[in-house]
Amino acid sequence: MSETIDKKLLAILVCPVSKAPLVYDRDNSELVCPASGLAYPIRDGIPVMLESEARQISLEEKEKYS
Amino acid sequence: MDQDEYTHFGFQKVKASEKAHKVAEVFHSVAGKYDLMNDLMSGGIHRLWKLFTIEMAAVRPGHAVLDIAGGTGDLAAKFSRLVGPQGTVVLADINNAMLRVGRDKLLDRGLSQNLEFVQADAQYLPFPDNTFDCITIAFGLRNVTDKDLALRSMLRVLKPGGRLLVLEFSKPRSSVLEKAYDLYSFRVLPVMGRLVAGDADSYRYLAESIRMHPDQDTLKHMMEDAGFVQCQYHNMTGGIVALHKGIKA
Repeated sequence: MSETIDKKLLAILVCPVSKAPLVYDRDNSELVCPASGLAYPIRDGIPVMLESEARQISLEEKEKYS
Repeated sequence: MDQDEYTHFGFQKVKASEKAHKVAEVFHSVAGKYDLMNDLMSGGIHRLWKLFTIEMAAVRPGHAVLDIAGGTGDLAAKFSRLVGPQGTVVLADINNAMLRVGRDKLLDRGLSQNLEFVQADAQYLPFPDNTFDCITIAFGLRNVTDKDLALRSMLRVLKPGGRLLVLEFSKPRSSVLEKAYDLYSFRVLPVMGRLVAGDADSYRYLAESIRMHPDQDTLKHMMEDAGFVQCQYHNMTGGIVALHKGIKA
C-alpha cells in the first residue's frame, strides 16, 4: 500500500540523525536518508521521524539512492 | 544525557532510556479524552493560557510555525488561520495517538491546506537549520527526557530573529495558593482522571511531573544556556502556569 505525502512537507523534512535531505520512496511509503542509511516509515499519511522506528537500509539500497 | 543515567518520571526515578516509553503509555491512555480532561481539570482556563500564548507568538501571514508536542492541535488550529495560505504550520508530536486525534479534529474543521503533521522527537527535530519563524511547545517540555537537548534542537531550527514560546505548568507564587493547588492536584485530579478517562495513574503522573519541572527562573536560565536571548516569562493564574519566551539571535 502506498501513501502519499505532501510535497510542501517533504521540502522541509530532513533526517533527524544526519540532518541530510530525504528521498521519498513511494512504493515502500518510506522517507530514505542515504547519508545515515535509515528509512523512516509513513504511517497513516504521517511521516514517523523517529530513529527508533526507522529501518536500516541495505548496502544495495544505499547504492540505489546515492 | 547518558541513557543509563536516572531521570524523573513524576516522583519515580527511572532510567533515562525508559522515560520516553513511560510517557508514551500515559498519552496513549489519555489521547481520546485529552480535550475533555483539559477543560474539566482547569475549569476551561487552559483556553485563556493558550490564547495569551497565541498573542505573544505574534504570528503573521506567510510565517512558518512549528507546534511541538502539539497533541490535539489547539494552538495549530489558531496558527493555521493566522499564517494564511502562504504560511505553514507543522504540528509535531512524539506520540502517534495524540497526533491522530489532533489531525482528525483539524481535518473535521476543514483546516488542512497549510497544516502538516509529523511524528517527531523534540530532542532530534527533523527539520533543516533556520526553518521556522516561531516555535511553540505547550505543556510538552515537562515530558521531554533531556530538556537542554530539546531547547538546543529548537534553537537550531528557528530562523534568526525567530521566537520560542514555552507554555508550561510552573511554581505558584504564594504558599497559600500552592497548598490549595497541591490538595487539588493530588486528591482531586487522580479521582477525576479515574472517573472521566478511566485512568488515575496517568493523572497522578501529571501532578507529579508538574512538581518536578524546573521553576520559572530555572527554566529561563536553561533557555539562556541553550543560546536564546531576550528570555523572559509571564506568570498566569498566580504562577500555576508560566509562558517563557526566548529569541534566536
